[in-house]
Amino acid sequence: MAAKLRAPGLLRAGVLTLVGIAFAAILDLTVRAATNAEPLVNGEAITLVALLAAPFFFLGGLGAFDEWLYWASGKPSRPEDHSGHGATSWKDYFRVNTDHKVIGVQYVVTSFFFMLVGGLLAMLVRAELAAPGAQFVDPNTYNGLFSVHASLMIFLFIIPVFAGMANYVLPLMIGAPDMAFPRLNALSFWMLPIAGVMMTLSFFAPGGSFATGWTAYAPLSTEVPMGQMFFTIGVQFAGASSIATALNFLVTIITMRAPGMSFWRMPLLVWANFATSLLVVIATPFVAASQLFVLLDYALGFNFFNVERGGDVLMYQHVFWFYSHPAVYIMMLPGFGIISEVLAVKSRKPIFGYRMMAFSLLAIVLLGFTVWAHHMFVSGMQPWIRVPMMITTAIIAVPTGIKIFSWLATIWRGVLHLDTPMLWSLGFITMFVLGGISGVMLAIIPIDIHVSDTYFVVAHIHYVLYGGSVFTIFAGIYYWFPKMTGRMFDERLGKVHFWMTFVSFNLTFAPMHLIGVQGMPRRVADYTEQFAGWNMFISLASFLLGLSTLVFVYNVVASWRGGTRAEANPWRAMTLEWQVSSPPPIFNFDAVPTVVGGPYEYGVPGAVHGVFRPAGQPDPHAKEPAGASARADAAGATHHGGTET
Amino acid sequence: MEAAAVPIGHGHGHAHGHDAPGHDHHGHEHHGPPPANKSSRVDAPMLGMLLFIISEVMVFGAFFTAYFFIRIVQGQEWPAEGDHLPKLIAGINTLILVSSSFTLHWAEVSIKENNRRGLQAGIASTFLLGATFLFIQINEYVNIGFAPQDHAQGTIFYGLTGLHGAHVLIGLLALLTVTIRAFRGHFSAHDHRGIEIPGIYWHFVDVMWIVVYLTVYII
Repeated sequence: MAAKLRAPGLLRAGVLTLVGIAFAAILDLTVRAATNAEPLVNGEAITLVALLAAPFFFLGGLGAFDEWLYWASGKPSRPEDHSGHGATSWKDYFRVNTDHKVIGVQYVVTSFFFMLVGGLLAMLVRAELAAPGAQFVDPNTYNGLFSVHASLMIFLFIIPVFAGMANYVLPLMIGAPDMAFPRLNALSFWMLPIAGVMMTLSFFAPGGSFATGWTAYAPLSTEVPMGQMFFTIGVQFAGASSIATALNFLVTIITMRAPGMSFWRMPLLVWANFATSLLVVIATPFVAASQLFVLLDYALGFNFFNVERGGDVLMYQHVFWFYSHPAVYIMMLPGFGIISEVLAVKSRKPIFGYRMMAFSLLAIVLLGFTVWAHHMFVSGMQPWIRVPMMITTAIIAVPTGIKIFSWLATIWRGVLHLDTPMLWSLGFITMFVLGGISGVMLAIIPIDIHVSDTYFVVAHIHYVLYGGSVFTIFAGIYYWFPKMTGRMFDERLGKVHFWMTFVSFNLTFAPMHLIGVQGMPRRVADYTEQFAGWNMFISLASFLLGLSTLVFVYNVVASWRGGTRAEANPWRAMTLEWQVSSPPPIFNFDAVPTVVGGPYEYGVPGAVHGVFRPAGQPDPHAKEPAGASARADAAGATHHGGTET
Repeated sequence: MEAAAVPIGHGHGHAHGHDAPGHDHHGHEHHGPPPANKSSRVDAPMLGMLLFIISEVMVFGAFFTAYFFIRIVQGQEWPAEGDHLPKLIAGINTLILVSSSFTLHWAEVSIKENNRRGLQAGIASTFLLGATFLFIQINEYVNIGFAPQDHAQGTIFYGLTGLHGAHVLIGLLALLTVTIRAFRGHFSAHDHRGIEIPGIYWHFVDVMWIVVYLTVYII
C-alpha cells in the first residue's frame, strides 16, 4: 500500500488533492489570523484558495512534475527509458503518458465526455424553453445551465478536441517520432479535466453555478455568488493547457519536420494548426488576464472594474474580446485543415490553390486581431471605433471566402466518395456558408444593433460553431477513427448519424433566425406567447439532435470494441500518417521518412509524397502512390494500445 | 511502405541523458524512437522559451491595457491624489535588477570557457541580486502608503508591479535550480543549454521591468 501511494498515479493524486485542500485551509486560516480578519473561518475563502492550490497537488500526485523536480534537485541526468510511452491497457490512459498518440486519445475522449455533459445541459435549456413561463427551473438556475453549457462546449470540447486530433496525427503527418516536448504535452492534457471538473462542480457551489454566460462580463461577474470563481479559475487551467499545447505544436512543426518537407509541402492540417497555435500563443494570455482581473476584484477587493473608485468596466470587454474574437478562429481554423484533408482524399483531386489556402489561414490570423470590438457595438464604447471594426470584419470574410471557393473547386469534377467523412465535410461547407453570411450581417452596425442579444445571435453562433466546427470535428473523427483505433466504424450508422444531425440541426437552429429578428431575447428563461409555437418546435427538434449524438456514441463504442480491423490506408491517402500501420507503431516510424512531393497529388501519375528510405536511392514503387503497399508491411509492426478491451 | 516493419534495435543514442549508472538495460525490452529530423537550425527548447516569452509579453500587454484604460481613457490622476511613488528607490532597484543580467551573462561566458568558479560566482550573485530586488519591492509595498483596494490607480500599480514580481519569483526559482546544478557539478563548455534557457527568461524579466518602471514610475 505504501509503495502504491508513493508511485505516481491516480491514487497518489487523490491523496495529494486532499492534502492540497488541507494546505489551502491552513494557509487561509494563518493569513486570516495574522491579519485579524473577521470571521476567522471563511468557507468561501478556503474554497477559493483550494481551487487554486489543489490542482497543482493533483498534478504533482499524478506525476506530472516528477521529472522536472528531479532535474531541479540537481541529481545526475537520467536517460529517457520511454517507459512513459505507449499504452498496453486502458489503465495507461489514466496516467501521465508522454506518447502523443495516447495523449491524443486522452484529449479526444475527455473532450467528448464534456461534450455529452454540455449537450445534456443544452437539453435542459431547451426543455425549460419548450413553453412560455417557468417549467422546472428558476431563472437563476436557467442562467447557470446555458452558461455552463457554453463554457464546457467552448473550453472543454471544441478547443481541446482539435488539439487532441492534431496531437494524434500532426507528428505522424510531418514525420516526427513525437511532439517536441512530450512531458509538457502530458501536463497540457491533465490540466484539461481539472478545468472541466471545476466548471461542472460549480453547480454545487453555494448560490449555484456561474450564471453570467461564458463571457462573464464584469462587474456582474465580480458581484455574484462564488460559483463564478469556478469559471474564473477553471479558465486559467484550460487556457494554460491550450497555450502549452500551442507552443508545443509550433516548436514541433518548425523543428521536427521530415527531410524534404518544406513549409510548402506540409499538409493543410499542419498549416491550420500552425496558424491556430500562433493565435493561441498570442491571444489566450488576454483571457487569462481578464479572468485574473475578475479574481482580484472578487477575492481581494481590487478596483479594476469598480467605477466608484476609478475602474473601467468596458476594459473587461476589450480585453476579453481581444482574446475571444481570435478564439472563434481558434475554434475554426483546425476544422478548415480537417476539411482540406478529407475533401482532397475523397474527391481524388489535388487541393485547389494550396498556397492560397495557407496564405488565407495566415491572413485570418492577422485580421483576427483587428475585429474584436464588433462584439461591442451596443456596449457604449466610443462610437468612432464602430465603423473601422465593421470594415475589418467585412474584410476578414474574404480569406474565408477564398477557402470556401478553393474547396468547391477541389471537389469540382472530382471522383466523389460520398462516405461518412465526406458527408460531414460537405455538410460543413453548406452550414458554414450560412453561418458566415449571418456573420457578415451581424458585422453591419444597424443590423447588429437591431438583433443584439436576440436569438439571431444564438442561431449565428450555432451555425458557425455547430454547423461549422462540430461538423468538421465529426468529419475528422470519422476520417481518422481507423488510424486512431485500428478499427473501422460502422459506415451505415455513420450516415444515419450525419443525416439525423444535419436535418435536426437545421430544424433546431434555422427558426432561431426568425424569432431572433422578431425580437426574442437570448439568455432569458421566459418569453412572450408570440414565440410559443416556434419554441416548442425548436425544443422537439433539439431533442432529436441530442438523440443523433447517441447514435454516434454507440457507433464509436461498438466499433472500437468489435469493428473490423482497419487497414493501414483505407482511404488511399498520401499523407504520411496513412503510410504506417493502424494504429501506428509505438514510435511512429522505424526511420523518419523522406518527403519528395506535395501532400495532395491525387490523380497525378507517378506522384509520391513520402518515401521510407533515404532520398536518392532507387524506388521500385515510384509509379504507385506512396503507401499502397503499407498494409502488408505493417502487419508485423509494433502495435500499441487502443484496441484492448 | 517498407518501413514500420521490424522494430528497430537498441542503442539509439539519445541527446538527453549522458550517463546511466545502474540503469537496467536488460530487464524489459525497450527501444527508442528514431532520431527526429532537425528541420530548423533553431534549438527546440530555445524556440519554446521564446514562444513562451511572447505569451508572457501578451499577459503584460493585457495589464498595460488596463493601465491605459484607467490612466488615459478614464483620465485618472496619476498617481492618485496624495500618493507618492518612490522613484529614486525604485530607480536604484532597477539598477540592481539590470546588473543581475550582467552577472548572468558573466556566468554564461564563464562556463563556455569551462570556468566553473566563474559560473558559480556569476549565477549565485545573479540569484542574490534578484532576491534583493524582490525584497526591496516588498519593502516598498509595506511603506508606500496606499493599497490596491483604495482606488483604481492603486489597483493597477499593484497589478503591474505585482505581476512583474511574480515573474521575478518564477525566474528566481529557475535560477535556483540552475544554481543547485552549477554547484553540483553539472554544465560544461559544451553543455550549457540549461543555463541559457532560464537565462533568456531572466533577461526578459529584466527588460520587462524597465518598461514597467518607465510607464508606472517615470511617465
